[in-house]
Amino acid sequence: MKYILMMHCPRTGYDTFGAWPKKDIEAHMAFMLAFNKALRESGEWVSGEGLADPKQAKIVRAGKDGLPITDGVFPESKEFLAGYWIVDVASPDRADALAAKASAAPGPGGAPMNMRIEVRQVMSGPPEQNSCNES
Amino acid sequence: MKYILLMSGTKAGVEGYHAWSQKDIQTHMAVLRGITKQLTESGEFVATQGLAEPAEAMVVRGEKNGMPVTDGIFPESKEFLLGYWIVDVATPERAYAIAGRISAAPGPGGVPTNMPMEVRRFAAYDQSKSQ
Repeated sequence: MKYILMMHCPRTGYDTFGAWPKKDIEAHMAFMLAFNKALRESGEWVSGEGLADPKQAKIVRAGKDGLPITDGVFPESKEFLAGYWIVDVASPDRADALAAKASAAPGPGGAPMNMRIEVRQVMSGPPEQNSCNES
Repeated sequence: MKYILLMSGTKAGVEGYHAWSQKDIQTHMAVLRGITKQLTESGEFVATQGLAEPAEAMVVRGEKNGMPVTDGIFPESKEFLLGYWIVDVATPERAYAIAGRISAAPGPGGVPTNMPMEVRRFAAYDQSKSQ
């Protein structure tokens, strides 16, 4: 069964991260790279990406003429996706365990961040029962 | 450059979708499949997925002993990811144009939903390290 593990942050989250000491950033990234490598070795890796700064995020809607209308205005409370992993695991508990591992990634001074990770199952039923599954 | 087009909605919005007529849902899906087919033909398609019900969503944190602590409680206003498309396009404008087409997918009675799509570029750093 496939799960997506989503890491969120506030709009200014990347500025906060960027202001960490270089050593802490490197330790954090090394942890993430090792986490990804372990997932590949266990055969549970499907995909994973980090997203660019939320300040570049745009909201797009179709106008009446079908052309895109872009807008960069978000409510202050909005949480942005910072990155995600898609994993193929044997049980929901395994997805939770992997999310906990990612949650414990080191922050400033090497202390575990214990950040919130949202865990959602990816739909795998026939497309006609799903809202947008094509694969 | 790779972009992710994120379709989000609230729990109430998902319940509203389930109340659409069968015909409206089929028309909606046919348009989305058509967009994916065209993106495949143009070589811009990377991936798409739909997510399971927000009711199944969990928030997980690692405890001090590394064990997962799960919690399914979200504020009413929380927006959940419903699905996404990843596209590989030449310009940001092209990503916005594709998001606009998805936004215009038909809703009840064939009227465009005009749902908001969040458009985000992939960070080059993580991409080069993780692939």
